[in-house]
Amino acid sequence: MADPSQDGAKKVRSGGPSELAKAEERTALWLLIPTFVIILIIAFYPLGQVFVESFRQREFASGNPGTWVGFQNYQQLLAVTMRQLPVELGDDGQPVVEDGEVQYESWVRVLPREPNRYRAVWEFGLFGNRYVVGAITPEFIRAVWDTIVFSVVAVFFETVLGMIIALALTAKFFGRGAMRAAMLVPWAVITAVSARIWEWMLQPTRAGLFNTVGSALGLNDGRTNFFGEAALQLPSMIVMDVWKTTPFMALLLLAGLSTIPKELYEAARVDGANPFRQFFSITLPLLVPTLAVALIFRTLDSLRVFDIFQVVLGRSRYSMASYAQDMLISVRDVGMSSAASVVIFILIFGFAVTYIRILGVETE
Amino acid sequence: MNKRTLHILQRVGFWILIIVIFVYLMFPFYWALVSALKTQRELIQTPATLWPDQPTLQNFRAVLSSATFLRALWNSTLVSVAVTALSLGVGSFAGYALGKMRFRGKTPSLYVILAMTMFPQIAVLAGLYAVIRVLNMPAIPSMILSYMLFTLPFTVWVLTSFFRGLPDSLLQAAQVDGATMMQSFVYVLLPLTAPALVTTGLLAFIQAWNEYLFALTFTIIEEQSRTVPVAIALFTGEVARQEPFGEIMAAAVIVTIPLVVLVLLFQNRIVEGLTAGSVKG
Repeated sequence: MADPSQDGAKKVRSGGPSELAKAEERTALWLLIPTFVIILIIAFYPLGQVFVESFRQREFASGNPGTWVGFQNYQQLLAVTMRQLPVELGDDGQPVVEDGEVQYESWVRVLPREPNRYRAVWEFGLFGNRYVVGAITPEFIRAVWDTIVFSVVAVFFETVLGMIIALALTAKFFGRGAMRAAMLVPWAVITAVSARIWEWMLQPTRAGLFNTVGSALGLNDGRTNFFGEAALQLPSMIVMDVWKTTPFMALLLLAGLSTIPKELYEAARVDGANPFRQFFSITLPLLVPTLAVALIFRTLDSLRVFDIFQVVLGRSRYSMASYAQDMLISVRDVGMSSAASVVIFILIFGFAVTYIRILGVETE
Repeated sequence: MNKRTLHILQRVGFWILIIVIFVYLMFPFYWALVSALKTQRELIQTPATLWPDQPTLQNFRAVLSSATFLRALWNSTLVSVAVTALSLGVGSFAGYALGKMRFRGKTPSLYVILAMTMFPQIAVLAGLYAVIRVLNMPAIPSMILSYMLFTLPFTVWVLTSFFRGLPDSLLQAAQVDGATMMQSFVYVLLPLTAPALVTTGLLAFIQAWNEYLFALTFTIIEEQSRTVPVAIALFTGEVARQEPFGEIMAAAVIVTIPLVVLVLLFQNRIVEGLTAGSVKG
């Protein structure tokens, strides 16, 4: 970086103001080159590469150049169909009823099998009929759905808890500094490590904290398998994520709260507004810009969730990112992994753009 | 109920809230510490206890004598320090140009960098792997290079706004004295940015220390290059067939304590950095 500066120096001394401006422009470009070269190598080129690979079929880390397959990978990933499940008929031609419930045929007989085999994602009942949603890659469809549910619920709880913590910390009390420090602890723990700590606390026996406490309080039999039971997998992930990221939310909101002038509250108190009234007519409206930014940060972050899903659930349940990574490393299917990555990229970017539009956040 | 009792009740309620929040934030870390101090027998004993019967350092000893873990600590330190240094170096050049100079294409450059902060890592994973194969890079330099995907945009963004906040008169004075743009950068502005460098440097370090996706993927074959998050996620015991949670918790405590110390020392700086850009005014 020595050359451009000396070059600029000569120009500055010999030329007029326009020369000076040119020299400044040249120096600025030299200063920006390293940043842009790095961004090009680690972001734009790989992104382009992923985009191209998503239209090809190739085995991961092999010399095989692969073949073009057009939109086949996307079709494999995203193809979804819905069928009505017929009532199961017994040998006598009457519907089979077990325990007072009408039995339906298995989805295997209803979903298409040629040219691609569809498997069930969900079954649901509506107006007395039973339907099945099938997909060629049900794992991915479920991963997208799970990630969205995870993000919405986790961010909701983080915001509410973060708000409570932030409001509590605006009060002046002995030990406030210690509290602020304690808030940074969950944030500073490595996410993959915090996943293992929670994994240990949520053990399926009473060696785990939650089962010990649960059985002591008579809530369960002390053998709840938090990561094995499908219905408990997402809630467990949400609990882990909320613990880890609530402090970040609280810090952002605390910073936002500190910008609200104290006089407003004094005036409100004089007017006889109670604390709830004060919160909804002063705090919340003035906090909207901060809240918007915090929500965007957190939602974008949780849509990319990888660490906790990969560490705790592995291949038993995926987030979008852990699906794409597993497709690449374990299944070694570059095409499908890349197509999944492109879908994730588009989802996240689309989400960011709409969010920013709706909330009208300024970028500067 | 008179005013006095109401006031006392309010105080009590407030303190209960504060204590609940404190316990909620600290408990998992406490649990990891307590579990790390338990013997293997006590760990699998049910129900779990809040305090070890016979505290032992056996798990810590086991972890600290594990070559895999020590190697991971070294790898993580190396990667995080290098990422931080590179991001600060490259980032302060860019921040200076974007914050203090006039040139065409400045606004688009800023937008590209802002967009990068929202970039999902997973979107470039397969392509990045291909780049690394072409460049024939071992895992450690690969991690150092690729972690800048998330440290660099943030560093540039914060430093740009910091440089912009410095008075122009400083630069003009230096230029009147015959200093070039680069000289005024190195001798006048850079010393003033020290606080911002500390903040962004800390955050870059912590992010790099925390990273799991790239580290896991790049070291899938190169086991000797694994960093701490990967090593702990894939930790298996030398002896026990069961997952050695005592040792895992000991490892978790060991890698968390330096960060907690760092965070406590630089509390205000970190909060400042985390909230930078999110709050106006």
